[in-house]
Amino acid sequence: MLFLNYWHLFVTGAWVTIWTSTVAFAIGLVLGTLFALARRSRFRVLRLIGTVYVEILRNTPALVQIFIAYFGFASLGFRLPALLAGITALGVNAGAYLAEIIRAGIASVPPGQLEAARTLGLSPVQTFFSVVLPQATRTVFPPVVNQYVETILGSSLLSAISVQELTAEARIVNSITYETLAIFAFAMIFYLILTNLVSFAAAMFSRSFFKPRIATSYKFSIRGSRQLRTGGGRA
Amino acid sequence: MSDWQHIWDARGLLLSGLLATLALVAGSIMTSTILGFVVGFLRYRRIPVVNVVLRVYLEIFRGTPLLVQLLFIYFGAAYLRLDWVTVFIASLVGMTLFNGAYISEIFRGGFEAVPTGQREAATTLGLSRFHITKDVVFPQTLPVVLPPLFSQYLQLIKNTSLASVISYFDIVRQGQAIIDQGANSFDVYLVVAIMFFVISYPLSLLARALEKRIVTRRERVA
Repeated sequence: MLFLNYWHLFVTGAWVTIWTSTVAFAIGLVLGTLFALARRSRFRVLRLIGTVYVEILRNTPALVQIFIAYFGFASLGFRLPALLAGITALGVNAGAYLAEIIRAGIASVPPGQLEAARTLGLSPVQTFFSVVLPQATRTVFPPVVNQYVETILGSSLLSAISVQELTAEARIVNSITYETLAIFAFAMIFYLILTNLVSFAAAMFSRSFFKPRIATSYKFSIRGSRQLRTGGGRA
Repeated sequence: MSDWQHIWDARGLLLSGLLATLALVAGSIMTSTILGFVVGFLRYRRIPVVNVVLRVYLEIFRGTPLLVQLLFIYFGAAYLRLDWVTVFIASLVGMTLFNGAYISEIFRGGFEAVPTGQREAATTLGLSRFHITKDVVFPQTLPVVLPPLFSQYLQLIKNTSLASVISYFDIVRQGQAIIDQGANSFDVYLVVAIMFFVISYPLSLLARALEKRIVTRRERVA
């Protein structure tokens, strides 16, 4: 149990894992939204750019993408710090998956909703923000959270370009005490706690935020009576 | 100029890496599908104690990074002085346990998608439990299971690149060997990425076509 003397390395590693994957995920969300919109655009060029981005990033390994961002660009003369290259590569990779998720979410809004919005005289921008977006958010939320978990797990690849996150710290401690099984099991417990916390928080959030809010109750009065009654109830 | 020449001259290395990657892909697709099928079926049957054990397995292998699992298995085997665990075996075991966990959920979903009425009808017709499972449940799970199974295989192909970290001589590792000989790393990794793309992209198109076909067939039935 010598490795427990180095517990602070695990904690700093876990912290690096948390913030790198969170920043990468944020980059991915922005890119994902932009490219999802590009793929639904009226302009062929934008659609093409979106498709190329998604297909290339989704059909090559994340590890190779990280190597290109760090070693590859360095050999071209753009020497990025490992942290910057790693986070960017991870974010660009997550963006491709998120673009597909968000695109599917937007497509899942029934066309009748768009027709209704048009009938009500909403502008395309209004339609997007007050009709499409609220409904798409609901369907997209679980797979997006899933992608966040994937990004946390994927951030372990940054250890291959010497970013000092959880996996890298575990390997360092392993090279000091050689208690291999216990050390990697310990690191795995950290990851398990992290991923479960995210899933739990997401479940809590969606339970309170996405509860059915369709009001079906209505007020009415019977002729000859002043009393206002309530009919219907929560859906 | 001379750099591409360098990579071309070292094509033997990349080719042997490609073979190693394909060997790992083929091997782990087979083993993880078998494991996933068995685990998925056992979870579907909800056998009391077994179910808890399997949930712990799923929780661990789906909640931790594949890279850490590979390091655990490879260095762990060295720690226990299991000399017969080569890099290939360690990678295969890691890939199998990791992908088997995901595939088992796909199969379980497939089994549960078969309406209970089908089982009841088969029981009424006097089929044995074995025949119900083999001739009534399994054929109906196939269209549900195939599309997600294919996308899991696509993930698996890309995930084999992680075996290079524990020094399995796949495409990525052989690419690094060429870089060590002095080639430009951007060009080499670009070639490596293209090789993965060439394997993965046609399969993703195939998976999409398959999915579309199954969905339209289901709509025709409905």
